[in-house]
Formats: sequence, C-alpha cells, structure tokens
Amino acid sequence: LFSSTDESSCYAFVETTVKQVEDTFKEFTTREDIAIVLISQYVANMIRFLVDSYNNPIPAILEIPSKDHPYDPSQDSVLSRVKYLFSAESVASDRR
Amino acid sequence: MAELARTDEIEMEVKKTDEMAELEVEENQWGEPIEDLEGEEDRNKAVMKLLDSMDGYLTQFNSLSSTLRQGWLDLASARHSMGTSRINYTLLDLKEHPASTSLRVISDDDDDDVDDSTRKQKPRFQLRKWGSLDNQTFSAEKLRSKEEHEESSGSLKQRHRGDSQLPECASKPDDGAQVQIDDKVKNERSKSLAVFGTLVSPKLRASQLSFEKAIEAIVEIANLRSEILAASDQVQRILEGAKKVT
Repeated sequence: LFSSTDESSCYAFVETTVKQVEDTFKEFTTREDIAIVLISQYVANMIRFLVDSYNNPIPAILEIPSKDHPYDPSQDSVLSRVKYLFSAESVASDRR
Repeated sequence: MAELARTDEIEMEVKKTDEMAELEVEENQWGEPIEDLEGEEDRNKAVMKLLDSMDGYLTQFNSLSSTLRQGWLDLASARHSMGTSRINYTLLDLKEHPASTSLRVISDDDDDDVDDSTRKQKPRFQLRKWGSLDNQTFSAEKLRSKEEHEESSGSLKQRHRGDSQLPECASKPDDGAQVQIDDKVKNERSKSLAVFGTLVSPKLRASQLSFEKAIEAIVEIANLRSEILAASDQVQRILEGAKKVT
C-alpha cells in the first residue's frame, strides 16, 4: 500500500494480492458470457499452477505481453503443453 | 499327362488367388503394404497441422507484441502533446456500457479431419466489430481485406481534417453503401474517443487503430490456440495407439 499526495488530490493504490488474482481468474473462467480471458504473462506467472491446470476450450486464456514484460514463449502454457511432444526424452522413451 | 499338368497348374493358381484374397493386402510398387502407408499419411498430416498451428501462433504473438508496443508509444505521445489531465484513467466512466465490439463463438463444422469429440473442443472465435451499426456485422477479415484493397487500388483519397490516418476515407463513386459503412465506422471511432475531448491528437487516433489491430490479432491467436490443442490431442492419440500396437 502506498499513497501519493499533490496539491489537488490524493491517490491511494492498493496492490492486488495473489489471492485476488486467483479469485478473479476462477470467476472469469466460470462465467458463460466470457469467451477470451486476457492476462498479462507477468501476472499469469503469479498463478502459473492455476493457468497451466486450466484445460477448458472456452473461455480461451491468452497470456499477453505488458509494457514492462515482453512475451516469453517458453513460459506460455499452451506451448508448454505441447513441448513434451517434441522433447528428446519422450522420443527416446518410445524407442526403448 | 499334359492335361493333368495343366490342371495342376490351374489349381495352384486358384489356390494362390484364394490365399491372396484371404490376406486382402495390397502392395505398392515397392512391395510395401498400402494400408500402413495411409496410416502414416494421417500421422504426418496431424503432425504437420500441429507444427503449422504453432508457427502461426508464434507469428501472431510477434505481430501482437509489435502492434501493442506501437499503440503504447502513440498513446504516450498523445499524452505528451495533449497533457496528462486530458488522457487520464480518471476520465473513464467505470459504469457498465454496451460493448461496441463483441465476440462470437462458433463450432468448426467444416473440418472433416477431426472427430466429433475434437470438434467440441475446437471452438472458433469471430470478432464482431462495431456491432451496434444496425445489425451490420464486420469481421476482422472483411475490414482487413477492405483495407488491403484500398491500399492496392491506388484511388484518390478524400482528405478529411483529422482523419488522414484512417484508410476508410477513400470513396468510390460506385460503392456508396461501403462509403456509408466507412462513415459509420469513423463515427463510432470518434465516439469512442469523445471521452478525451472533441479535438484529439492524431497520435491518439493512431493508437486507437493499433489497439483495434491488436484485438484482431488476439482473436486470431485464440483460434490458433484451439487448433493447437485439437492437433496435439490428435497426435497424442496417435502416439498412444502406436504404443499399444508395439
């Protein structure tokens, strides 16, 4: 929690907690009027276990870049899900 | 004797033909069974589909990143020229408003390569921009093709003050309906920016266009995500089937 004051106004900013992000994520993914959920990849990393365990086709969860955090494909949950299909370990285990 | 030998030969040929019919195996010119080749073709097709979807996904994300970056830069530039008091989050009304752009989810019935269970898991998203325009729907593809056509046509563009960056300004004498739609789209865009004042910086309009393009890219990414997940499920089933056989 931090506040800044100037001559005309006073602003107080409350930082969003991980719990609030989790609750909002669960709420948005269960609503029927939402087709796509956009989440900054930086924020998605805070609730990575929730995002990676999400398997429903709708709403689609898209991790987008933010101003300070560019998109990193290695952290994307969709690409991580299919990465194991191309890993050397999975190919080697099939050949044994 | 000759007749007996001939009869034996005929019997042997008939027997061989019967055995071949029982096996029902066709072979190609290299002696490989054709049934296995067809299965191999399906497997390759599934893997190619997965790889194509992943490539499109990454390409669209690169495009989205650069479009968003341009939008943020233009917004910062507009804020610099118009002043921080005119472009500020406090100007935004936090009440609920009807959405001018919406998203439609449709099932992908045209893809014959997927089975019914996969089809349910593969929704397609369709963007409906400026949906409040008298039930006229605009898909991202229609507007993009229109803009590409405008750029390639080389026709003279009418210059409207403050709208020089909008590609819909071009008018054709034989396309009155399209001009009417373009004007309505222009009006809708201006209405969205009205919260920042009547006269806004061209940079703010440019940022609006960037974010519109970003929304189109996001819908494409959502569609590609559906394709990736469906294709990976298909490949996974093929791998599991191959493991059971071995």
